[in-house]
Amino acid sequence: MKNELKNGFMANLPISISVFTYGAVLGIICTSKGISFLQLALMNIFIFAGSAQFLIVDMLSSPVNISVVVWSALLINLRYFLIGASLNEFFTNTSLKKRLFIMHFVTDESWAVTMSKNKKQGVSVFFLLGGGFCIFIVWFLGTLSGYYFGEFISNPKLYGLDFAFLALFTAIITSMYKTKNDLIIYLITAIIAVLLEKLLANMSYIIFSAFIGSFLYVYLNKRQNDE
Amino acid sequence: MSNIDILTIIFFVAIGTYTLRVSGLLLSNRLKKFKNIDIFLDSIPATLLISLIVPSIIKTGLIGIIASLITILIMYKVKNVLLAMSTAVFIVALYRNGLLF
Repeated sequence: MKNELKNGFMANLPISISVFTYGAVLGIICTSKGISFLQLALMNIFIFAGSAQFLIVDMLSSPVNISVVVWSALLINLRYFLIGASLNEFFTNTSLKKRLFIMHFVTDESWAVTMSKNKKQGVSVFFLLGGGFCIFIVWFLGTLSGYYFGEFISNPKLYGLDFAFLALFTAIITSMYKTKNDLIIYLITAIIAVLLEKLLANMSYIIFSAFIGSFLYVYLNKRQNDE
Repeated sequence: MSNIDILTIIFFVAIGTYTLRVSGLLLSNRLKKFKNIDIFLDSIPATLLISLIVPSIIKTGLIGIIASLITILIMYKVKNVLLAMSTAVFIVALYRNGLLF
């Protein structure tokens, strides 16, 4: 268990560079929006979801429409329902107490690393947790440095650091690629996501295009199994 | 915008997000009765990540698309996540400093 925790932690270190940067940018934005560090810390600890935190901070204005902000943030985080459902096999022998604890630390990054590693060699739920801890700590440190030392990183975009997160996920998706059917689905999903992003006013396009893509995947692979 | 407003938002988003994280896992056994749900969930990592990032990559402009294609190529040939990621970041940085084209 200790080894798995450590392996999970280490496997997430490369990604944590982009998580740190992402957090630093959020920290900088928070200072400009008049958010106290305590409030930022509460978000980091209890929400712990980068894109939702960005959205909340971005949507704060006066007067603020609380329910719109809350629902929009939850809409982006709806993907955690699917992420949770996809993790079922890891938790077969885990107590409810541990499930309730470990799930809080699941992030896009640690989940993606766990899923792609698991395809090559089986990993346990502690690998997932170790990754979650890594991201949690780095995320906190990133927002902290952005909040207090933001003026030193004058323009993170100039160093292409905002792209790290996108490049990382591109690499992870590539590592998930297996058959020709995958390629078809990946391309269709990408096109649908781009179209829906333009058509829908909110972040729900993420969920919708993932759903459509996965339904098509079921259709394609089911037909192949039947033949 | 008062502090109470911010704290209210944090409170509800925190509760909601935690509920989503946990309910997906706890309900997954009940989801099993749906046919082909295993194939469906198997594909979720890729489709969800694609939906999350592709629109943002397109918004980055031509350089974003080029950097992503190079990332895919490196991953496909060398299978090294760190190398693929840092090359992409390097290319974007070069471009933004006017050193590429």
